[in-house]
Amino acid sequence: MAAMEQGVSEGMMKALGDVPLSPTLLPWDRFSNWLHCACVVTFDLELGQAMELIYPGHVKLTDTEKANICYLSFPDSNSGCMGDTQFHFRIRQSPGRKTTSKCQHQFNKDYPVSIQSDGAYYYGFVFFRQTKDRSIRRGYFQKSLVLISKLPFVALFQQLVSIIAPEYFENGEPSLEAACHDMDQWPDPVPGETVNLPIFGSVLQSRVPSRSDKVLGRGQNIRVGAPTVPAHSILPSLYEVDIYSAFLPILPHIQMLWELVLAGEPLVVMAPSPSITSSTVQALISLIGPLKFYGDYRPYFTIHDSEFKEYTTKTQAPPPVILGVTNPFFAKTLQHWPNIIRIGEMTHGSSKIFNKLKKASSLKTLDSKPGVYTRYKAFLTKDKIILKRLIKGIQSKRPPEAQNAILRRHFLELTHSFMIPLERYMASLMPLQRNISPHKGPPRLRPFDPEEFLRSLEHSGPQLTSGVKGDWEGLYRKFFKSQNFEGWYYHRQYEVNQKLQVLHMEALCDSDLVAWIQDKEEVEIVDLILRIREKLAFAASNQIAVSDESLQKLNKHMDNIISSLPEDLQTVLKS
Amino acid sequence: MAVREVKLCLLGEAAVGKSSIVQRFVKDQFRPALESTIGASFMTKRVEVDGKHYAFQIWDTAGQEKYRALAPMYYRGSAAAIVVYDITREQTFRAVKEWVSELRKNAAQDIVLAIAGNKCDLEDLREVPYKDVQDYAQQKNAIFIETSALTAVNVPDLFIKIAHQLPPEDMLTSRMNTSSIKLNDTNQKRKCCGGPSRNEMGSRSGIL
Repeated sequence: MAAMEQGVSEGMMKALGDVPLSPTLLPWDRFSNWLHCACVVTFDLELGQAMELIYPGHVKLTDTEKANICYLSFPDSNSGCMGDTQFHFRIRQSPGRKTTSKCQHQFNKDYPVSIQSDGAYYYGFVFFRQTKDRSIRRGYFQKSLVLISKLPFVALFQQLVSIIAPEYFENGEPSLEAACHDMDQWPDPVPGETVNLPIFGSVLQSRVPSRSDKVLGRGQNIRVGAPTVPAHSILPSLYEVDIYSAFLPILPHIQMLWELVLAGEPLVVMAPSPSITSSTVQALISLIGPLKFYGDYRPYFTIHDSEFKEYTTKTQAPPPVILGVTNPFFAKTLQHWPNIIRIGEMTHGSSKIFNKLKKASSLKTLDSKPGVYTRYKAFLTKDKIILKRLIKGIQSKRPPEAQNAILRRHFLELTHSFMIPLERYMASLMPLQRNISPHKGPPRLRPFDPEEFLRSLEHSGPQLTSGVKGDWEGLYRKFFKSQNFEGWYYHRQYEVNQKLQVLHMEALCDSDLVAWIQDKEEVEIVDLILRIREKLAFAASNQIAVSDESLQKLNKHMDNIISSLPEDLQTVLKS
Repeated sequence: MAVREVKLCLLGEAAVGKSSIVQRFVKDQFRPALESTIGASFMTKRVEVDGKHYAFQIWDTAGQEKYRALAPMYYRGSAAAIVVYDITREQTFRAVKEWVSELRKNAAQDIVLAIAGNKCDLEDLREVPYKDVQDYAQQKNAIFIETSALTAVNVPDLFIKIAHQLPPEDMLTSRMNTSSIKLNDTNQKRKCCGGPSRNEMGSRSGIL
């Protein structure tokens, strides 16, 4: 047989065992770890924006979600958006949705706090194309491809949509199928892992962030080695955006913006295009990293949004949210807002960046000059050194990536200087290890006392780590009233209490309960058994990480205790 | 350890056994009635051939006509392409000729081309004579081998032959660059045929 003649091997080949990226899971399991769905939104002359396609087909979106996605997937006034426009938005999920799967929940817990999703929002990554097309009535082709995800991996999804959308506009639905199928072969987004993400004939390599990453160390390099495929394209971060370019037009005010975001002040970004608003709002949020911004934020917000009334009402004080808007109508609607950032078309020159702060009331229309309009008085003195450094960088044509790294590091350090005293004070509220007793309930954290904390600043305040001068105490007082403080405090409190539960449980497992019950009344013993059961149930339902070994010990104790009781009681307790 | 990265794609009519060849090569498995591929499947396989280490990045494309226009994304930047036909169906070999001329026109000039006549275990049903394809392959300067994903005949050899034909590593630099697309450039014009010239592709950077 001809084939056999050919079969003489010319060389030796040895397989080098590596695991192929082949799915053994159900279709779409891997896909939905990353993405909820992809949507195509078109402009219908009768209906306006309309959902043309949702892929994969089984994915459900509520009518409100669909309506929000439709409106947010087009520029508000798209006359100025010929060609391709990219931006992103964030919407509330409709209530009563099934939340994330168990494994997604597990991953989420180990992401850096600032990007942990609370499950209540979707992010939409839009690629909008508008071209002249004589074959269409009114002569324009207008369509958007939108990727919907619960993950705030802004950098990844922006790249992804820019790869998929042009191909989709060229070749239609099969390319969307192919893209989603590619993603259905992606590895799980496991925190700390380097992942290879095949898409359309190339491989994106990146590293999934982890909360154990050192934020102030050198940038997390992608580990070169073991399971990695030599990749074609390296994405330095899944979620970090270029804050330098976003803030370039308002650079002199950046430290005050940091204060505004930290303090959870209402803030609106007005700009001519959703690309600018979304990158600016995203940059604002990340300015206070690694601290999480706990308020709502909308990189792009329109008058059709289901939260429009809620957020623009004049009968209440403006909500503590950050909005990005392009519709000139907002200049009037949000006139009463205390802080407004106005950005014109993006220019990369340095000439115009030294605009002065303006009073909020002087903003009358969207045609007003670029700048920051605010009633806010900064607590800290402006750090001129960082500004000088960046300006020098502009003059010497330092690449934006390097400028961005400098700026990021500066704000990381500033946020750290602000948070270290709080972390230290929080640690002092922990009960002592020796107060943890198996015969008492688990100890709890002492309550946070703002005045006590502020008194500690004199000796161990931010002045120890930061050169920035000013009224730090005032800034803390302002911060205490914000949802960022509340969110941070509850998160810490929760973590500490979880930890205390574990320590208490371990103390219980390690104690000699059988000896302890020797001189106890029957009723006390029964009470102990019921309490241990309650604790085991609590540990199981709250994912308190007690070692299996300890649990086995405890179960053994229980069996011993129960068997020491009279038989009639044993049957009752075992039933 | 230097590992040579090889982007490789499989092309050919529907149901000729592209995915089965890949399954056999990567996992040494055969499943009858594999579901049809959507778009393309991606797999990796690291092998050692004559003491050299290779990491194959395998793009197994869909044979269905509706995915036809997507093919350039997969063969663009490929160091090797395997065009597969079914020896029991004459029309699948005709498709090989179309693929080969498209690749010779649009793929990298030094792409290693292999033609695989699959299902060679079905000798009784043969429609495509061995000699015909051998002559054709010689004329097109392509590797030719008949394989059976079912019996595993010649499947490893197919990849060994490809590894042998790859241009020497020092000529690789330009290849590495061609295999990446510049991700930030959203205005990049990509036509499905008549892909960009080599120089143009070579200038693109692989790092974002």
